[in-house]
Amino acid sequence: MHSLIETAKGSVDQAELYWSRRHTIGVLYQNRRLQQVEENDLSSLALRVVDNGKIGSGYGVFPDADGLLDGARTSARFGDTATFSFAPSAEFATVRTFDERTAALTSGDLIDLCESVKGRIEKHLPDTPLILRCRAQTETLVVETSEGAEGETRSTGFGIGFGAPFRGVGISIFKGDQSISPFDVDDALIDEFVEWYRWGDSTSTPSTGRLPVIFAPEGAFLLLLPLLMGASGDLVSKQTSPLVGKIGEQILSERLTILDDPLRDGDPNGRPFDDEGTPCATQTIVEKGVLSDYLVDLRSGAALGRPPNGHGFKRALFGGGAELPPSPWFANPIIAPGDESWRDLLGGLKEGLLITGGMGFHSGNYPQGQFAVQAVGYHIVGGQVVGRLDQTMISGDIYEDLRNVTAVSREQRRSIVGLLSGGFAPYILVDSLQVAGA
Amino acid sequence: MKDRLAAIVAELPADYADIRYEENRKVRILYEGKKLKEVASTASSGGHTRAYTDGGKAISSFSDPERADPMARSTCASAAHAGALRERKIRLADAPALTDAFLLTPTQDPRQVPLREKLELAAHYNDIILESPDVITTQTAYDEFASRRVFVNTDGSAIEYELLNCGIVGFIVTKKADVVQRVRFAFGGCEEYGRLLDREQDLRKQIAKARELLDADPVKAGIFPVILDPSEAGVFIHEAFGHLSEGDGLQNNPAFRARLKLGTRLGHSLLDVSDDPTLAGRPGHFTVDDEGVRGVKTRLITEGVLTGRLHSRETAAEFGEALSGNMRAVDATFTPLVRMSNIFIEPGAGSFDEMVASIDDGYYLVGAKGGQTSGDQFTFGAQWGYRIENGKIGSMVRDINMSGELFSTLQAISMIGSDLKFGERGGCGKGSPMQTNRKSGTGAPHIKIDAVTIGGV
Repeated sequence: MHSLIETAKGSVDQAELYWSRRHTIGVLYQNRRLQQVEENDLSSLALRVVDNGKIGSGYGVFPDADGLLDGARTSARFGDTATFSFAPSAEFATVRTFDERTAALTSGDLIDLCESVKGRIEKHLPDTPLILRCRAQTETLVVETSEGAEGETRSTGFGIGFGAPFRGVGISIFKGDQSISPFDVDDALIDEFVEWYRWGDSTSTPSTGRLPVIFAPEGAFLLLLPLLMGASGDLVSKQTSPLVGKIGEQILSERLTILDDPLRDGDPNGRPFDDEGTPCATQTIVEKGVLSDYLVDLRSGAALGRPPNGHGFKRALFGGGAELPPSPWFANPIIAPGDESWRDLLGGLKEGLLITGGMGFHSGNYPQGQFAVQAVGYHIVGGQVVGRLDQTMISGDIYEDLRNVTAVSREQRRSIVGLLSGGFAPYILVDSLQVAGA
Repeated sequence: MKDRLAAIVAELPADYADIRYEENRKVRILYEGKKLKEVASTASSGGHTRAYTDGGKAISSFSDPERADPMARSTCASAAHAGALRERKIRLADAPALTDAFLLTPTQDPRQVPLREKLELAAHYNDIILESPDVITTQTAYDEFASRRVFVNTDGSAIEYELLNCGIVGFIVTKKADVVQRVRFAFGGCEEYGRLLDREQDLRKQIAKARELLDADPVKAGIFPVILDPSEAGVFIHEAFGHLSEGDGLQNNPAFRARLKLGTRLGHSLLDVSDDPTLAGRPGHFTVDDEGVRGVKTRLITEGVLTGRLHSRETAAEFGEALSGNMRAVDATFTPLVRMSNIFIEPGAGSFDEMVASIDDGYYLVGAKGGQTSGDQFTFGAQWGYRIENGKIGSMVRDINMSGELFSTLQAISMIGSDLKFGERGGCGKGSPMQTNRKSGTGAPHIKIDAVTIGGV
């Protein structure tokens, strides 16, 4: 047990310690050139306490924890009445989150990989202003509470992303992957990048009105983030979620099953416990379109009169970190695959859109399920991609438009772009969405 | 600390190196509905070092100050490695060495205000919202960020400087039947605590709008002429144009560099746009940036022609243009990026009434609600809007997001008002990993754009 928890136990009712230490190396290429080499050695420490029945928190930098307990106690003096206890002792599932080979990587190794990927892409796309980013990280995360939770996990993360602005414009396309282990980039992913990049050589304007839309895995965040907010125990307890009282009801198409699975071995989002020390578990959120459960942390669990289910994370729409209070969040969202080929879905459309992203998501009323974004993706006519979308907006409501999902692909991929990095998604064909364009 | 870091940097084996060390304090008080969700007064510290050798660049962040020397040396070695691999060498523009202290002395310093007083202020505003009909919940936050920084470099700069801002920000959430609406409010956003006081009337206006929105219709999708209020127009110029004036985003995109040479005509001759970090009391105010360069006003667009750009020492050398002092990092865990300070559209001679009278079928859009940009494509939201039919303001509309393309949209700005106003909340996300910068301000008068794509039902 960390000495800070020992010290705290003598002076406050309860204490919860979150401590992270990360070592990261990374390289960045811009316009095909090595722009910078990066190395970070960062730590952070967050302490929550319950003191005289009030909750307070403090944040500091390891190893200098001086004043952290005093700061948390000061915060508790003004704080709200604690409605919950910190996590008790529990057994955590075993998840493989660490690979020694990633921890041993050097920046020279990352440069070698980027040079190799660059060379393979340049065979097809010479003189393209490629951007490549490769990172390797080792993290030790500890969550301990005075109530007995003792979680410690070592993890590694390895990721590479590559992309380029489309010819003559600023908007870019990116592909990539992540793992806990070092890997080389599949030829298939490079071929797909080359094909999709060339699709963007020209633009095409779709008809205004309602059109069928295929969401690529990269665009799945447009659907998952409104669902995350709706299923958040926090919004449910405040009665502001559109999913209040909807457990057991059909909220999406029966073709959609959505899990949260932090227990996948080798997955960079793998976690045995959440940021409050509650065990993580594989959980179905939506099964065949029916809402199965909410995402619940300690606070929202107390408000809803039920135990937490391991979804208290220090994350937010933009970033995350020790300074943030935990709130309900996905650990590792996965949309289950269907049984069709995504290319068949595309080939079957008379006119439609292939969506890889959307700009301006956060400006919309997404907690209520609605989105209105500038579409990033491609225009499909006669089963063929005819060009990149330009000045096209799509809008909808996931609880209306995602009741009409026509097909889900058997291919799944991890998304490394968008606001919800990580998670697996297939291609999803939605019967129609509202489209407006120039 | 300054002398210790200066001694370290003086011994570093690099063509150029710098070290920045920060001590940061944050106060955050958050009410959600009736519940006080968070009261936190936190401190953190850490450093960041950069090195350039033989045209290669490396960077590092570290938490433990004892690691400053070994991390800086390791960074120099990485820079030399990178330099050996680069044919086209990275260069830095010359900048004068500074040895001053740039400390802030606000009239009413938030750092001197007791925590209890801040708590009572947030509670007071939160109570006003909760007393209102149709309100189902709130988010009312007091945010304060105070940073004391030391910067040293191998050119002989050794400075101390401060950044400070405080604000009351939040959401009013109203509900009627199945319609839920969220309206933002923000006061302050600068170093003056006094800006947060006596703002009840401003808050009540926002509450009234959050209630009116419950009976508003969703906006119709299509392409329309629009009038943007100063808050919306400020975010528009930040998103649509401002990011493309940042040299680091542009330096590695050959196609865009060719389209954005200084002297290029971008808009009507009535359009003037500037970036100015010297505007005290605005969210993006600072004196020196995070590579020790003084921030100066930059005239970005003058009478419709591109006349300036925002730079780091690296991009100023790359473009052969003047230093602007816009290289900034949110905290020590990040490397600095080229960022806008206070970007604004200079006032023109038009009037709001003339703009309304000139539109037969369009919208008046009010209140910034965030935005995003990628290359020449941009999008941003509005808190609420009104139909304009036959030259007259009509009914209210909700759920508004709009998008466009930089070059055609700048050309489509046809009227600019005289009523320049600055926003009170900064906020801009950039980089990977993303740095969310509160010290970023926007301003504008009312403007008319002849055609904007609006997403809706």
